[in-house]
Amino acid sequence: MQATRRRTNFGTAGLLYCLTVVVVALASVNRPNNLLVWIFSAMLIALLVSGVVSGMMLLRLRAHRIEPRRARVGEVLVVRYEIRNLSRFVPAFDLHIEERKLPPSIVNAGEAWMLHCGPGDTVHAEGVFRASKRGLFRFPTFEVWSSFPFGLLRKRLIFERASEVLVEPEIIPLQPSLLSRLARGGLMGGVRASVEVGGGEDFFGVREYRAGDSIRSIAWKRLAGTDQLATIERSRAVPPRVRIVLDLRRATSDLRVAEGVDPRALEEDAITLAASLMALADRQGDEFGLTILGLDVAAIPLRRGHFHRAKVLAALAALDLDQPRDASATLRESAERATVLFVHPDRADTSISPAVGWNFTAAQLSSLRIPLALGGET
Amino acid sequence: MNLLRQHRISAFLLVLLAMAAFATSQKDLVLLMSSGAIAVLSWYVTEGPRGRSLPEVASNILILGLLMWTLAEFLTDIELADATSVLGRFLLWLLVIKLFSRRTAYEERQRFTLAAMLVVCGCLETVEFVFAALVFAFIALGIWTAMLWRLQSSLDAARASRKGDGAFLPPPLEVAVGRRLLPQFRRLALLSIVVIFAGSVVGFAAFPRFGESRGGRSQSDAVSGFNDRIDLLANARINESRRELFTVVWKDPTGTPEQSKRPIYLRGAVLDRYDPVTHRWEALRTSNAIRAMRTPTDAKFVALGPGVPDTTGGVWTAEIAMRSLATSVLFTVYAPFAVATDESYSVAFDPATLLLRDVGTDHVSRYWWYALRVQPQPSPQMMETLQGSTNPPRSDISFPVPALKPIAERILSQAFVTGIPTAEDVRADPSLRWMRNREIARAVASWMRGGRFRYTTDLTAFEIADGEEPIIAFLERNQFGHCEYFASALGGILRTLGIESRLVTGFVALEYDVSTSQYIVRESHAHAWVEVRTGEHQWTAIDPTPEESLMQISERNRAFSDNFRWIYDRLEFLWNSQVLAYDSAAQATIADRMQSKWWKSVQESYDAVRVQMRALVEQYSLGRAGMVWFVAIALAFFAAVAAWLFARRRLRHTQRIAGLAGLPPQEARRIAREVSFFADALDMLEDAGFPKPAPLTPRQHVAAITLHDANAGGAFARLVERFYRVRYGGLAQSISDREETRDELLRLKSALSRRR
Repeated sequence: MQATRRRTNFGTAGLLYCLTVVVVALASVNRPNNLLVWIFSAMLIALLVSGVVSGMMLLRLRAHRIEPRRARVGEVLVVRYEIRNLSRFVPAFDLHIEERKLPPSIVNAGEAWMLHCGPGDTVHAEGVFRASKRGLFRFPTFEVWSSFPFGLLRKRLIFERASEVLVEPEIIPLQPSLLSRLARGGLMGGVRASVEVGGGEDFFGVREYRAGDSIRSIAWKRLAGTDQLATIERSRAVPPRVRIVLDLRRATSDLRVAEGVDPRALEEDAITLAASLMALADRQGDEFGLTILGLDVAAIPLRRGHFHRAKVLAALAALDLDQPRDASATLRESAERATVLFVHPDRADTSISPAVGWNFTAAQLSSLRIPLALGGET
Repeated sequence: MNLLRQHRISAFLLVLLAMAAFATSQKDLVLLMSSGAIAVLSWYVTEGPRGRSLPEVASNILILGLLMWTLAEFLTDIELADATSVLGRFLLWLLVIKLFSRRTAYEERQRFTLAAMLVVCGCLETVEFVFAALVFAFIALGIWTAMLWRLQSSLDAARASRKGDGAFLPPPLEVAVGRRLLPQFRRLALLSIVVIFAGSVVGFAAFPRFGESRGGRSQSDAVSGFNDRIDLLANARINESRRELFTVVWKDPTGTPEQSKRPIYLRGAVLDRYDPVTHRWEALRTSNAIRAMRTPTDAKFVALGPGVPDTTGGVWTAEIAMRSLATSVLFTVYAPFAVATDESYSVAFDPATLLLRDVGTDHVSRYWWYALRVQPQPSPQMMETLQGSTNPPRSDISFPVPALKPIAERILSQAFVTGIPTAEDVRADPSLRWMRNREIARAVASWMRGGRFRYTTDLTAFEIADGEEPIIAFLERNQFGHCEYFASALGGILRTLGIESRLVTGFVALEYDVSTSQYIVRESHAHAWVEVRTGEHQWTAIDPTPEESLMQISERNRAFSDNFRWIYDRLEFLWNSQVLAYDSAAQATIADRMQSKWWKSVQESYDAVRVQMRALVEQYSLGRAGMVWFVAIALAFFAAVAAWLFARRRLRHTQRIAGLAGLPPQEARRIAREVSFFADALDMLEDAGFPKPAPLTPRQHVAAITLHDANAGGAFARLVERFYRVRYGGLAQSISDREETRDELLRLKSALSRRR
């Protein structure tokens, strides 16, 4: 991509250098000294060479941001840039790449820099950022600059090329026993047999023997009685299931919170808690789904796996808390067998659904996390 | 070697170079050796196996001590001329301390700045060739180091920016090695160095100069040891350098080189006025009969006087070849009557002093060689022919130091002057005056050479009380000094005794090289002596300095490095003649030459074009309107050539993109013309931030774009299908197909512009 604009700036070093050049010029005029005159000329030409070299270096440079897909609050976001030097002769050195007009919630944690991009080369550089808020953010403009060779002038190429990045909510490590206690015991969850044939332990049925069936699965008693080969089928094991219900029915301003507490922060904490529960369920091999009450977001069915997890996190990341809420939304009854975890920003509310579930509030986030001393990561 | 690893070495060498340059400017070998040794030690300490550095507290204490020492030096010796030297020494030792500090980017910057300041201090002290060579080396290495430093500091900054909160962050991609990186960096750095040096030559030549032009004192005179004035109070430094300045071939009347029985005195300036307040001998410019003449180009002699000289006494020739000195002064042997130069120069001859000076304004450099025809003992007729009526008036013989009179009379009585005409004899017969002058001068000079006075260049013990006349201090109390004191004393005594005399400065040729049959004149051979009037138009050189002392000092200062001087003598001469002697006159000459040359070439080109056009017009009877047509056709032709070149370039670009390299040229050109839309589409996509990676097929690229922008992907997909049909399906596009393709391109463009 070609640069939208080009700019040239004097840095502090450049200004000091110019001042020195002026002093040497005055000394040369005041004190007839041809050596000083020569030095002055060399300094002046060095300034020109600095501008020309950096200008030529950047003249045929094309830069392209390789779009970052996702980021997560509290984790680093690595943005890669591809620089192509279309020049046939002039190499580029000391290239810095900086994002401009970044949203305040995204901070630069490590600039992208490359030492060298030879003629005809394509080189990649990485910039590191940190996001402090979830949501959809724009990277509107980036610039490639260099002050090579002498650091006196800074030549900039400005690329106005917007990219969007979805920042997922922070995932806090929760106590592993939390879900095993809630979801694996009792009627609501636990490992059980499904209605499909699979590789589990439980008996599913008996069918006629087919060539290739394992000898270990032959129903020997049936064979003894009927003198016909039959094979025992086993049912597929189904992992525990967890449905996370995020209660966002109340508008931010209507939340019942103590004085001095930021209700929007509580809502964000609730989203973080929902994401953390989901991550915990995923880590333990459970199936999980997400329902968001109060906002126009379709419920995500119970599944597991990498893509499903990404889908749930994307849904949480893209939540717009400024949208109007539906205070009358309730969790519809379904035949779904799963442990239901309700996450409320302010207080537990049992009127959401007749279904039995476990209620969490955003304020519990700190108490549910693994203490740092026990190896909890941030 | 890793590119960035070179940075430390080159930065260290840069500091060493700055220190060497400054020590050279001070001509202080002890300073060079001591500071250099400590600096080299610092490399072992900081970069050695243990990698230690001086603690900051210790460094600060040392710097404070150095500062106090420098301040004390300023307070005790507040000579303004030495301020730069003291400041330079402070910077040098500060730099040495800094070399032991930790190698941080901040310290590197400080060291670089201090080194540059040290070099500038040296520039204010000297302009000698060796120093200048070191300065140029410093500039070249400085450019290289600055470029490396830029890369190193950026890498450090990139690393530091990732250490923000201690969390794990991926390190920056570091590609400081590689087969292509080093040569490319070297090429760029060398190109920068060459361009800066070439540009600085232009800047140097064009820099406005407001100083004295040729004919005045040039900077090269200041480094030759020769001085056109004598200051008896400014004798802190006496140049004892054995630098070869020029050679003299002394030929007898038959043209055979020979060694003169007496040293050859080469006159550079005549000083005939003594100022008792400043204690200086200066030239009294009374002559207004200076003759300007132009020497021919083929080294033919041109006469200095208007008439035909009387050469009955024999004619000697002095051929002077410059080795490292470039000055406007032509050093002459008494008494010259003709001069020849290697190139044509404008020369001014002062009949009163018999001095020659180059006053040409049409030469950039100084002469390389010149020759003088001289008569060592000229006849009165010849001198009259040469000088005419321009001899200094006799009234200017008084000496403005009354306290010298009793001393002079006492010396005269001690000098055993016998058998010479007395003042009464002279009054009775004025023709005896010249004999009296000569005899008294010889007697006093002989008395001075008789062992009472010691010749030395070390004047540290020479004491002059407040208000005391240096000549009297020399004669009465110290009784040692160098040639300027000897000559001043003799000149003062003779004038006090009413004998016309003047001081002459220049060089004395003592060192004869038998193998080459020529005298070698060195910087340390700069000399001062006295000339006494011994005729209406005649002056006789009297040297009160003991000749043996001069020889001894010359031999004593011989150094091993003198054997290698021939290596850079020519370079030094070029430096002095082309750079230090470059002044406003030389600048004007270059400007005139350039202007005339450029203007001439432009005018010639214009005339040639005009003649050709006129011939065409006449041949085809075009007339004035035809001229306009002719110009229009020429412009159209150039536009067509430019368009053809552009189209050819575009076609090649398309051929490369469409992979048509293996096809027959005609077929490749046909297909390239058909699928040029595909190249346009790819260019548009690249501008919008979707460059096509080489490994992807066009269809895969469509899929990648569609993920980002369905509209753009759709439009591009249709173009790709069309491309496949033309490129691989052999489809020739009809007019309607072309229109559809154009529409698709517009759609792609609008989709991409919406995205932007």
